[in-house]
Amino acid sequence: MKKRRILLVDDEVSITRVLELYLTENADCEVRVENDGPSAVAAAREFLPDLIFLDIVMPWTDGGTLAAEIQADPMLRGTPIVFLTALVSRNETGGALVQIGGYPFLAKPVDPDALLAFIDEHALDRA
Amino acid sequence: MTNMAAGSTGAAALMGLLTVQFVPVRALALSLLAMAAAVGAAVFWPQLLVNQEVLAGGLALIPALLLAHHRGWPIISVLLGVGLVALTIIHLTPLYFGASFRGPFLILFVVAPYIAIALGAGWFGEVRRYQAELRATQLQLIQSEKLDSVGRMAAGVAHEVKNPLMMILTGVKVLSKRLPDADESTRQILQDMTDAVERADRIISGLLNYSRDRGLDVSAADLNATIEKSLLLVGHHLEDARIVVSRHLHESLPMVPLDEFKIQQVFVNVFTNAIHAIGRDGTITLTTSLERLGRGSNVGHRKTDRYTPGERVAIIRIEDSGPGIPREHLATVFDPFFTTKPTGRGTGLGLSVSRQIVEMHGGTIEIGNRDVGGACVTIVLKLDTDGAPV
Repeated sequence: MKKRRILLVDDEVSITRVLELYLTENADCEVRVENDGPSAVAAAREFLPDLIFLDIVMPWTDGGTLAAEIQADPMLRGTPIVFLTALVSRNETGGALVQIGGYPFLAKPVDPDALLAFIDEHALDRA
Repeated sequence: MTNMAAGSTGAAALMGLLTVQFVPVRALALSLLAMAAAVGAAVFWPQLLVNQEVLAGGLALIPALLLAHHRGWPIISVLLGVGLVALTIIHLTPLYFGASFRGPFLILFVVAPYIAIALGAGWFGEVRRYQAELRATQLQLIQSEKLDSVGRMAAGVAHEVKNPLMMILTGVKVLSKRLPDADESTRQILQDMTDAVERADRIISGLLNYSRDRGLDVSAADLNATIEKSLLLVGHHLEDARIVVSRHLHESLPMVPLDEFKIQQVFVNVFTNAIHAIGRDGTITLTTSLERLGRGSNVGHRKTDRYTPGERVAIIRIEDSGPGIPREHLATVFDPFFTTKPTGRGTGLGLSVSRQIVEMHGGTIEIGNRDVGGACVTIVLKLDTDGAPV
């Protein structure tokens, strides 16, 4: 089975570093990290991820704008996007995934096991 | 100036000196200014010195009046004010209308204080009531401002704190997976770190509740069913602590307009507090009732702010068999971050959030101690006023 391609977009380097480790060590994933919001769309075009974990509050380009650009891109349209954000609390999401504006949100801090489960369920299967 | 006038002037001076001890500088300045104006007028208009005793007595009343006003003695203020006006009239009347008018004004001078007392007693009763309500409103505003400050602070801090928490949680998970054969103490440390992150997240999430849009998603709900759902959420805690729930729920409670999710949060907070207070082996007594409020309905001292006589309300009482709340804490239990629980068991935000939610519904929540021991939380929620008899 082909490895799942996961793009992590977050300006917090320490978060993407440990998440990349966790996903590559505990799931059959190929992970690409992008800490610079404006470069994320280009990185996605090049990487063609099966799923994108996207931070919302980032300098220069926020996650919402990036999501719109990704969905507008013919190569990337339909790629599942999940927002990982510190803007909502787990009280509000009930500890689970919620849909806001058509996109799923997970409240930081997210148990990485929940991310694995989410990848299994929602990542595109390009095989 | 006669001896009597000199004595009165001396009394005025003495009163002025006493005034220095009690009256702020501004009041003292006003007093001195008034007396200086009177003396100046007398110098340039010698006829004013016709009744020197009366004039001196009147001047003596000025600092006394200011003192009484400043100290919040309303009836004495009125008496002194009436006296001052009467003395002024008595003093000036002979200058313009002759001595014949002096008699009626003397009678007025004697009678006026009694009229003032009769009128003032009722009037000041109202004034005192309004003052008490004003003070209560000010306290509420201060409390509201405190909550808003917490909200603004939370919004700013939460984002900066939750990202490091995410990093730590993921890092701990990475280490846990890499150390499958770790000894017991290592595993315990990693578990403690995970628990600490979750605790910090709970606190931050509680803080974030303040910075949210405080709108409600209101629909007609079965209040008794909402209570039962909330009990389910704390069911395992009740079982662990061997706490019995005694229900006295009104059987024909009408539907209540409420945001069920938020009201459940209130009940869970209150139940959790009761469970923690009891500790082990005890009883939580739940009572729901309907009441049509009349004047003096015993639903809380702030009822006049939120309810009108004749209004129908649903009342929920949650009583526990715990030790109750120390008297000195009763006034602060709704303050943000106030908690008596050990570190890690409470954020100090539960009751504060609960009151915010209940007040968003136009209701009230109060907490007190039962005569037989234990605490009692009383929540009052408004019902639709459809005119149906309670």
